[in-house]
Amino acid sequence: MLEQIINWFPEWARPFIMPMLTIAIVLQVNLGVCSYLILLERKLSAWMQDRIGPNRVGPWGLLQPVADMLKLLLKEDVIPGHVNKFLYVLAPGISVFTTMLAFAVVPFGPVPRNLSATDGQFPYIIAPGVDLGLVFIFAVTSLAVYGIILGGWASNNKYSALGAMRASAQVVSYEIPLGMSVVGLALLTGSMSIEKILLHQADAGILGWNIWFQPLACVIFFAAAMAEAQRLPFDLSECEQELVGGWHTEYSAMKWGLFFLGEYTHVITISFLTSILFFGGWHFPWIAEPDSQYLGSTLVKVLVLLTKSFAFIIVIQMLRWTIPRFRFDQLMGLAWKVLIPLATLNVVCVMIVKQFHLNEWWLLPMSAALFLGAGLIGTQSSRPFARRTSEPVAEAHGHHAHAH
Amino acid sequence: MESSYPILLFVAVLVGFVITNLIIIHIVGPRKKTAVKQMPYESGMDPVGDARQPFDVKFYLVAILFLVFDVELLFLYPWAVSAYLDDPLRANQTGVPVELRGTVFAVMLVFMATLAIAYIYAWRKGVFRWR
Repeated sequence: MLEQIINWFPEWARPFIMPMLTIAIVLQVNLGVCSYLILLERKLSAWMQDRIGPNRVGPWGLLQPVADMLKLLLKEDVIPGHVNKFLYVLAPGISVFTTMLAFAVVPFGPVPRNLSATDGQFPYIIAPGVDLGLVFIFAVTSLAVYGIILGGWASNNKYSALGAMRASAQVVSYEIPLGMSVVGLALLTGSMSIEKILLHQADAGILGWNIWFQPLACVIFFAAAMAEAQRLPFDLSECEQELVGGWHTEYSAMKWGLFFLGEYTHVITISFLTSILFFGGWHFPWIAEPDSQYLGSTLVKVLVLLTKSFAFIIVIQMLRWTIPRFRFDQLMGLAWKVLIPLATLNVVCVMIVKQFHLNEWWLLPMSAALFLGAGLIGTQSSRPFARRTSEPVAEAHGHHAHAH
Repeated sequence: MESSYPILLFVAVLVGFVITNLIIIHIVGPRKKTAVKQMPYESGMDPVGDARQPFDVKFYLVAILFLVFDVELLFLYPWAVSAYLDDPLRANQTGVPVELRGTVFAVMLVFMATLAIAYIYAWRKGVFRWR
């Protein structure tokens, strides 16, 4: 049916129809889901704190997102006199643009094999067949730091400036473990394409999901990605109690809303990526195998992927009310002293397994050993490589006071 | 390159989306300037001094280290994709040939050892000690 519709269009326009259709779907669904994720987050936090949560607008507060959207649109959009106007207006745009652009290479359903854009199959991904999908995502999402730092600097406010400095240091630090955690996947799969990594797992069955071979990489990826998205417990840059919102202190109305649209889009992308890279994507034994052809199997595959991603969204939102916020020195320490060495050692493990043709199941105890070893070193000696002679013991007290 | 034109299309749509949004925000909604609204928000205190002050040199150190490690990461990506590529389904894609894999393995170990030395040096210099 889709092919007939495509054939109505002139020859030159045909390659653009499927991409435009997927773009329209992704954009619309994303906007709707983001606004309802905010309601879900408020309901979840209310549930975890034994409150009721939003319940006035519509049944169970279901119309709250609509009311919020209207309020954000109709509020006064204050542009304070002391800001750099151009960059101040540009920053929320960059934030939304980069986080949404990352979704271009994330599949949201069973991408047909050997797909070309003209043959009328629905692709379930905006840009099928991009070989460097993961690199594209890391490149684009790390550009989001420009939205943060420009917004913080242009606001010309001390809270904003502090928040922006923290955020940029945090995002660049967590970029490295994030990128390093997928090197192991590339070694195992031989590809940086998200679709190929997914298909590799789907063909291997549930015991071929990457979580069995790279559980440590999965943890590192998830933590680093949450830090990139500035979600609690990594939201040092916007901590409401100390910095009144950090880099978006001076933003109001829909410009503020755009920043949050960006953040929630980022959360969705992380959840999709985690479920695709480590948990087999749309694959689930018996009901969604690569060769299952029963009626509605495609729909089931899409639903499986959406369910997995939704589970990770819930995990992210529940973590927010479970783990308290880190101190800034702990945050940087976690990135540089824990995640980066662990991710590098994980890559070395995969190297050794591949080079000496060991069974890939050796990676599971190796990951566990690395994780437990890091935990032991971290708890038994607080400063493993530090030079003990150069520093008087009394300075340990100043440590906390100066850390900001 | 042929497969990435939908990304360019998405870029165009997103730029349109963002600009339309910013214009709508600008038009819709009231606008009443008052002296207090124009001030920087500092929890009700009158701001003292400028917000554009010099900041801690630590941030520069982190940025420089980030450059070192990120470039290193970029070296790892092509190696990781091609090192153990022996998928018979992708015969046209050539990875590292089997007889060279030992050499590449040793080279990568040396590369990572160099990196580890630099990392321990930075740690002992106190770059990661944030205060």
